[in-house]
Amino acid sequence: MNERPVARDAVEERPRVAAEMTLLVDAGSAWTKAAVVARSRGRWRLAAHVAQPTAWGEAELRSSLVARLVGVVDRRVADRLPELLAVAPRISCHTPRRAGRLALGAVSAELSGASARRAAESAGWTVEVSATADDGRSLVDRVAALQDAEVDAWLLCGGFDAAGADQALEMASLVAAARGSSDAPVIWAGAASLADDVALLFEQGAVTVVDNPRPAPTRENPVPLRHALEDLLQRVVEPAGTRQHTPVAFRRSVSQLAASAGRRIVGVDVGARYLTWAQADESGSAESRVFAAGGLAGARLAGGGPGRLARWIPMLIDEMAVADGLQNLHARPATLPQTEDELAIMQAAVRHQLAAAADSERGEMEEGIDLLIGAGRSLAAAPRPSHAVQLLLDGVRPVGVTQLALDSSGVLPPLGALDDSEIAEGMGVLRDDLLVPLGTSVVTRGGRPGQVVMRVTVHRTGWPPIGPLDVRTGQLQVVPLARGHEAELEIELLQGASLGGARRARRMTAMAMGGAVGLVLDARGVPLPVPRRPDDRRAVLAAWRDAVVREPAVMTLDPSLVGER
Amino acid sequence: MSGATLHRVRIPRGATPVVEVGEEVRPEQVLAIRRRAGPARHVRVTDLLGRPPGQLLAVLRSRPGTLLDAGEALARDAHGREVAMPFTGMLLTVSPADGSALVAPLGEEEPVIGHVHGKVQAVEPGAIVLEVPGVVLRGVGGTGDAVHGELVVAVHAAEEELRAGAIDVGATGRIVVGGSRASAETLTRARAMGVAGIVLGGVLDKELRDFEAIQQRRREIGGLTGSFGVLLLEGFGKVGIDPQRFAWLRSHAGRTASLFGADGLLFVHGASTPPARRTLPRVGERVVAHRRPFQGRAGVLVAALDELHAAPSGIPTRMGLVRFEDGRLAPVPMANLEATLAGPAAS
Repeated sequence: MNERPVARDAVEERPRVAAEMTLLVDAGSAWTKAAVVARSRGRWRLAAHVAQPTAWGEAELRSSLVARLVGVVDRRVADRLPELLAVAPRISCHTPRRAGRLALGAVSAELSGASARRAAESAGWTVEVSATADDGRSLVDRVAALQDAEVDAWLLCGGFDAAGADQALEMASLVAAARGSSDAPVIWAGAASLADDVALLFEQGAVTVVDNPRPAPTRENPVPLRHALEDLLQRVVEPAGTRQHTPVAFRRSVSQLAASAGRRIVGVDVGARYLTWAQADESGSAESRVFAAGGLAGARLAGGGPGRLARWIPMLIDEMAVADGLQNLHARPATLPQTEDELAIMQAAVRHQLAAAADSERGEMEEGIDLLIGAGRSLAAAPRPSHAVQLLLDGVRPVGVTQLALDSSGVLPPLGALDDSEIAEGMGVLRDDLLVPLGTSVVTRGGRPGQVVMRVTVHRTGWPPIGPLDVRTGQLQVVPLARGHEAELEIELLQGASLGGARRARRMTAMAMGGAVGLVLDARGVPLPVPRRPDDRRAVLAAWRDAVVREPAVMTLDPSLVGER
Repeated sequence: MSGATLHRVRIPRGATPVVEVGEEVRPEQVLAIRRRAGPARHVRVTDLLGRPPGQLLAVLRSRPGTLLDAGEALARDAHGREVAMPFTGMLLTVSPADGSALVAPLGEEEPVIGHVHGKVQAVEPGAIVLEVPGVVLRGVGGTGDAVHGELVVAVHAAEEELRAGAIDVGATGRIVVGGSRASAETLTRARAMGVAGIVLGGVLDKELRDFEAIQQRRREIGGLTGSFGVLLLEGFGKVGIDPQRFAWLRSHAGRTASLFGADGLLFVHGASTPPARRTLPRVGERVVAHRRPFQGRAGVLVAALDELHAAPSGIPTRMGLVRFEDGRLAPVPMANLEATLAGPAAS
């Protein structure tokens, strides 16, 4: 970043003070986030950031940044900020213009069909139409449904690798009939033994063979299919390249962070259209899933989840109002919740989408994660840090000891769009401003109901120890631990509770980093159990909310934690 | 919003376009013909050739989806023995378990109708692109089919609910402009009375889902005829149509309109420029608010506040002060406001 050109005004005769600044822009489908990185006293710092509806346009974005910068920049350049911003180097990324559209043909809706659908939906595709041998429709109706859909590619699967299945070949030939003379690519991800026969049903070169995502009734192997679909998405839908795509750039940033810190990191970016889940290990090796219907305007929400969502709202809101609220999120994703009720509905939607994504990634998180990063406007611009902590904990349920942080200024995706040779430097120079630490969570799984399952003593250098603190099943406790402070935790697990992974010891120590909320001791289990009776449920949810909100560290809201300043 | 708009009419795979580029088309004109596969019939291919079922694919002469004439070779073995297509139709699928092929005659011709006036701009694989010289209003949601008909207004005011009693035989074949909402009962009655489509400011999501469930059940038992579409202009819930827009729709009653429920579009043919919308309103402009508690209400933006202010939800954002038409003055997030501009479209 040091080599970036300097924005100067060469017209003035007298030498004028120059300013080195770079603009980081993430143009989302609903909101655009922009940040100005500028050199101050020899160091690159995040000088200002804003978020605004994408439809407001570039001029307004620059004008908002100027308004934020005026109070903090050197007076000698204050009046030239618009021109300096206009010529400042820009690192940008954007949401893909649309998801890939897929037609799915499978033998069984529950086995091969479900595995293929999960792989597709986590690779940036939406399943526009599906036909399975057990869907109860006639052959003619299946063909008609497949003919009606407008799709970019066809995905076929079925049969187990050890056995094959005649039904899979029947379904493949039905898809071939519906596809007709279309030149859309076909992926066969079914029994390997049928691959040659399937290829005969289509014109030469149309079929790509991928490993079966359901090679046996009790085993899934979705990764090869997901990777093949990611490649296909780039070829078919966005042939111009994907490094500048926000989901790809976000994964690259998370990967770089994990490699430089030597930590296992999960980043979740909840946008209007997509939910991106990026997971990287200590070596920087990263995997990501792009849930095409996982954003706040996602089809999964619009498709009839108000009843389920209403269960997670700690206040009494009519289910019909929840349904309307969700539809309005879908219809106008660039608007904001104005009332507390609308905020509760939106946050329930965030929690729901995060939980749906986390469920499909639970196996990958089995060994625990060191850092969980929340990104996207619904998390980064939550009214209080405690809201973001609750959404991350309720949605992701990161079992074990995990540091929590926010990409509050939305700089991770644009930085991930840098060249391979620049990304480490770009993230390195901004290391102090990249993330807003929220604190550390200790989340247990299991344990007997109503019993103390976790006993924690907090040791801080120069301070008397706190505790031991007893946490019962279903309880949530917050211990103040300010940003920049570190504590050693002495954890005793009781009544069969665990912190996940292979760690089975009853006593252990762990380090905790402070943040805007502090240390969160969470013995609510995985998945979150809530009472059936609505009144009891709301009381429990409100108690959990209050336990986090009461934390003293959040009483003075750090302005850097909100999406706009 | 006004002038010519390109509109893409999707045609199902297997349909044959019957219009050419440059041709003027009417709303009721057939743009393509589709023939679905009829009831399928098994042809025991390998039995007839005396081959094992596993050799089915080796002897088939055509790929699934191929149209074959009666008597044309469906399969042929190495000795030149053939299995002929029993009728003109499509090879639908194959069954390697018993070595049979499923073939289906093609059903009746089904027309694909564009539902708009316009000129054919392009005939693409899977779509016909039309240049439509009408005005298009984009809604925020909708359901149902593409329909067209004469525009009629069935409520007296923009915020009035469309009642079942307001739908009578006079509305048959027409596109009815309702008000702030309609119940599932009203929508069901409208469909039963042969109404082509309904335009609303808002509708409760539950009412819409109930209506769709009723239609689905009727479709399953085979009692559903005709097409029907619903378009929402403002949002979900009880939301009135913006009075400016409502007045414009009222002034165009009697004109031909085309409604695309699933796409959320309404074309009004031969119409004047409608009131336009623009995000980021300026002080002094008339605005409409989009989220509760002011959803669908119009007013004037009297001030845009400096700095960020917390909305009642707690989210810090840019706020504007709006004097609503009922006299109330309230702060509203700027992101939730749109300027409503009468006359030529805004930039």
